[in-house]
Amino acid sequence: MQIVEGIKNNTLFRNPSEIQKICLDKLKLNPLPNVKSEYWRLSNKSKFSSFLNHKYSKESTFDFPYKNTSEKIIRLVIGENSSINLKEENFSIQQLKENEIVNYIKKNISMFDQNEQWSDLLNLGLCSKQNILGLNISGNKIPPIEIFSSSSPESFNAKTLIIFFEKNSKAELLQINLGNDNSSLSQSTYFCLEENTSVNHGVVSFGESKSNLLNSLNVIQKAKSEYILGLLHYKFNYARFEIRINQLEGDAKTNLKGIQITKNNDQIATYTKMQFNGPNGYLDQINKSLADDKSHAVFEGVIVVPQIAQKTDASQLSRNLLLSKHAKIDTKPQLEIIADDVKCKHGATISQLNEEELFYMRSRGLTLTEASQLQLSSYFQEIISCIPVSKERWDLLDKLLQEN
Amino acid sequence: MQSKLKEFDPILEVNNIFASIEDLPILKGVNISVNPGEIHAIMGRNGCGKSTLSKIIAGHPSYKITKGEINFDGNDISSLEPEERAQSGIFLGFQYPIEIPGVSNLEFLRVATNARRKFLNKEELDTFDFEDLVKEKLDLVKMDPAFLSRSINQGFSGGEKKRNEILQMALLEPRIAILDETDSGLDIDALRIVASGIKKISNKQTGIILITHYQRLLDEIKPDFVHVMSDGQIIKTGASDLALELEKNGYEWTDNFIKEQ
Repeated sequence: MQIVEGIKNNTLFRNPSEIQKICLDKLKLNPLPNVKSEYWRLSNKSKFSSFLNHKYSKESTFDFPYKNTSEKIIRLVIGENSSINLKEENFSIQQLKENEIVNYIKKNISMFDQNEQWSDLLNLGLCSKQNILGLNISGNKIPPIEIFSSSSPESFNAKTLIIFFEKNSKAELLQINLGNDNSSLSQSTYFCLEENTSVNHGVVSFGESKSNLLNSLNVIQKAKSEYILGLLHYKFNYARFEIRINQLEGDAKTNLKGIQITKNNDQIATYTKMQFNGPNGYLDQINKSLADDKSHAVFEGVIVVPQIAQKTDASQLSRNLLLSKHAKIDTKPQLEIIADDVKCKHGATISQLNEEELFYMRSRGLTLTEASQLQLSSYFQEIISCIPVSKERWDLLDKLLQEN
Repeated sequence: MQSKLKEFDPILEVNNIFASIEDLPILKGVNISVNPGEIHAIMGRNGCGKSTLSKIIAGHPSYKITKGEINFDGNDISSLEPEERAQSGIFLGFQYPIEIPGVSNLEFLRVATNARRKFLNKEELDTFDFEDLVKEKLDLVKMDPAFLSRSINQGFSGGEKKRNEILQMALLEPRIAILDETDSGLDIDALRIVASGIKKISNKQTGIILITHYQRLLDEIKPDFVHVMSDGQIIKTGASDLALELEKNGYEWTDNFIKEQ
């Protein structure tokens, strides 16, 4: 594992930044997560090793997966010297200053649980300054934003995104993670939503042959904020998504809709933690997995409702579809409730394509393939509709879904 | 499938069919022959094999034919997939139409109609042309166009589901339609609408098999033949007055008939 050896032997950086030093020092003591812990036990060991077995690279090559056909869309690529400083009448997007980024990250690191946030620790330990994009966004007539992150072939890249959404702002943001051939990408994202903010966030991740991805997303929501997240993960040898959302003061809305599609021998896992830290919080979460061939999909989601979070209304559903008898799905929705005046529900289903539905469609002349595709597209639809994608961008999603 | 049909040959011939599901025999030698323009009614107690017969003809993969053959337009269709049978003109109206959440009714109807049109060497319809066609057919069953934008049968009442089945029949213009308890769950008005739709769709080239328990559908659509099924066999065939006799005397005599056999 080249990355771990590099951390242990101090050979990755000549002049690490202050943040890197803090993280690398922590990692030197325990370079790997505890693979026996609940949080890591289902991770495929050999695939996880392959994730760490690439040559570290600061640089990454990048080609846009589709053309930008609209001038209205703001496109940024992490690590490509994307500089932005927009101050319009109704909105502003400005890059964070270096000291703002450092202070924010240092504050975060001090609260890290090393095992649970090993992915963030690794990311920040390996992410050079040029690969951190920090933004401050305000206003409510913000054009759609697209932010790309990618790895280079045969390399390990680390990218970080930090966004502060100012009070009363309203934004649509699509984040796209691209995995190149035989590569690993570590992507950590931090969002802070101030009061009365509304963010519709999409994360679409897709890889090429033998690409790996370790993606974490940390969201802090203040009161009266609304956060909608649509996730689509597809085509990675190994991918792991860690999503932590904290309704800091309660009285906020969170809507999480995700789908992971595994084929061949892939393993894709999603871990979510929803923390309510105040009353009147709301969550609606659906996570879907679709596993084919000999692949493995994992979902573990926990909702934490402490005493202070009275009147919480939370729902978490894991729906899973097995397309092959050799595929495997692990799912574990969990509730940790201390408060006594709450409405919380969770559930999980694992099924195969419905034979009677297929026969019904076939009895009307649709081929088995057409019937299966219609059934699958309906399965995707609920999730895809949450991803903020303009009409022009449907080509990409369409391509992904057609390949399935 | 190349048709070997001559002008007055039967559309459908079920010859001594034995069939089972998971090794449980259900059909035990069924024979029925439907000519163009004929309406047949199949009646019988619950569990006697009526629905199994309809599914066997439509090609349900869970049922296995262990003996006999089914000829459609002169060709044995036993080895054809359900979609091949449907494309060639066999239509099964479901007793319990399936709800398919998330799949648009309109898109489903368009794909199905085009599959049938392709078989008939007719030009496939794009979304706009199809919408014109489907609106015209909606009138036959007095369906609200709003149902087209919903998921297949999802949230439809029992009557709406049955009307949706007849709408599909109207769009697919089948050679033979097997309507499995299309009258069940319908109030009198809905029954009349559905029956009127069936009558308008049927013609001299179409064969219809009505599977039913009750005379009331047959009051609306007069059958040429009535078959009584019991324990996986057709035990009696007669004219339309046989249905009246059944309505009057019930099915008890079928038990005695089976015992005697």
